[in-house]
Amino acid sequence: MKNENLIIYLDYQDILTFCSGHLLYKEAYAYEWENENVIHIHLSKKCHQFGQMYPALFAIDNKKTMQDKQFRFHVFIEKILPEPSVSVFVDGVQSDFYYIPDRNSLFSRNKGLLEKDVLKSKKAMIIGLGSFGAQIAVELAKAGVGKFSLFDFDRIELHNLARHIATVNDLGRLKTDVVEDAILGKNPYALVDKFPIDIDKNEELLSSEVGKSDIVICATDNNSSRLNLSKELVKKNKVGIFGRAVTRAAGGDVFRYRPGGACYACLIGHGIISKEEISSVQAGRLSGAIPAYTSDEDAQAVVQVGLAADISPICNMMIKLALLELSKGTESGIQTLEDDLVYDCYIWANRREYNFKNWHVFYQSGADRTIMRWYGVKVHKLDGCPVCSTDIILDTGQKGEYHDPENSDYEGLALV
Amino acid sequence: MKLLRIFLRRFIMIDYKRYKLEKEVFQKEKLPEAAYRFIGIGTDNPYLRIAARTNSGKIYTLHIELSSFPESIPEVYVTKMLKDSNGKNMSGASAQMHTLTSSGGWTRICHYGYNSWTPMVSLFKIYVKCRLWLEAYEAHLKTGNTIDTYLVHQS
Repeated sequence: MKNENLIIYLDYQDILTFCSGHLLYKEAYAYEWENENVIHIHLSKKCHQFGQMYPALFAIDNKKTMQDKQFRFHVFIEKILPEPSVSVFVDGVQSDFYYIPDRNSLFSRNKGLLEKDVLKSKKAMIIGLGSFGAQIAVELAKAGVGKFSLFDFDRIELHNLARHIATVNDLGRLKTDVVEDAILGKNPYALVDKFPIDIDKNEELLSSEVGKSDIVICATDNNSSRLNLSKELVKKNKVGIFGRAVTRAAGGDVFRYRPGGACYACLIGHGIISKEEISSVQAGRLSGAIPAYTSDEDAQAVVQVGLAADISPICNMMIKLALLELSKGTESGIQTLEDDLVYDCYIWANRREYNFKNWHVFYQSGADRTIMRWYGVKVHKLDGCPVCSTDIILDTGQKGEYHDPENSDYEGLALV
Repeated sequence: MKLLRIFLRRFIMIDYKRYKLEKEVFQKEKLPEAAYRFIGIGTDNPYLRIAARTNSGKIYTLHIELSSFPESIPEVYVTKMLKDSNGKNMSGASAQMHTLTSSGGWTRICHYGYNSWTPMVSLFKIYVKCRLWLEAYEAHLKTGNTIDTYLVHQS
């Protein structure tokens, strides 16, 4: 008799791992989603499972081990070439099962659009694992990117939950651990390096990881880290994607650094970007965006975060640019985007507020600037840029020009 | 462990090239060489000491932290605890007086807004802004008006 009402998943990689050894049996882990009749059985303990965990057993010999009532879940494996023969028993009754797909079938739906063999060898470095960085990491994992280097010293707090991929079960955990789990949940074959540290205090590590990466995503919340990273990108000739939201996520911008082009310091120097979103009092105080003389009460008022739906389009552009850069030189289905996404900086408005208050209403806006459309900006290298220019020109205060980021509405910019 | 220690070394922000440029600006602006001194360049604790003479003839010494300069706004201190017109220590962060929380018994000047900062800003410009703050401070001592009366806030 077969147990047909259970949905059981086995990790094929586990079967191969067990077969490659000389063990007769090995204790494993079964996760049962109670009342859902769903069971996943793994050789190794999974840290991000929500089902009830039970001991399981992988074994060669089914006669002796079946008598061991300690295990409800038995996986019997016969080492037959070319493929092992596997059977699963739950409470002594044989059950049908599926395999968690191997690497090749995991991203089969991307076929024709993304080159999975290329992406699996690419390494994405993501700095800042807040609502931007975490979402981007998961999307890149879904696309088949195979290696990650994650940087964030922060932990998940209650105020993160509204926009972050983390759940209530992740409260208090390091963001690097949470995002690693999320990546492995999408691509169990991904290789993830975690660095729960402040990049501003670790030049050598930052430099070495930038050097090893194929793309660098900067999703931090302050210019100091963006500028530090910018220096390393210039030094190591690497592509970097920077993204952020402005106050209350009324909009945002995405900047792409390409070797030889304008860097993030050029962008700041041109006065193109506007006042950014402060996502928490702690982050604002740390960066200096909330001055020390601001009372806690006033500081709370300064923290005006936007909706998850408002930051998603900005993340989406960062992901597209990252995939485009990672797929360069391959016959990918997204190649045509190379002719479209030619700008250095992209600006997006969610609502006609703050810096976008003078923009046209969406209805019948024609060619006027309005919400929910991307505008591209060519950013020229800044004369005398202290990061990417050989001849630095310092601001000594002689010019008398002052750009007020609070009131910038991108006036005078050639937004295309 | 050795590898970890190497990894965890702090950034040494101000490099030699930038240091030379900053000195060139001081020379161009005719700041007497005896009025300033860069200390600890090439270490993880670089700073600048610079004397500022106000219109009244008083001399103050400014201490400018350079450990995260120019990527971040450098901390600027007057190397003593200044008193306000009521004789109280200017040790706290105050929007009206353009000060931040003091450290080591020194009054800290709020001289630049976070959103306005760029790594192009020279130490000379910071010095000029702090000179203006000192003028405003002396005006405050004379009139009792807050420094806010004379200086605007920067975003």
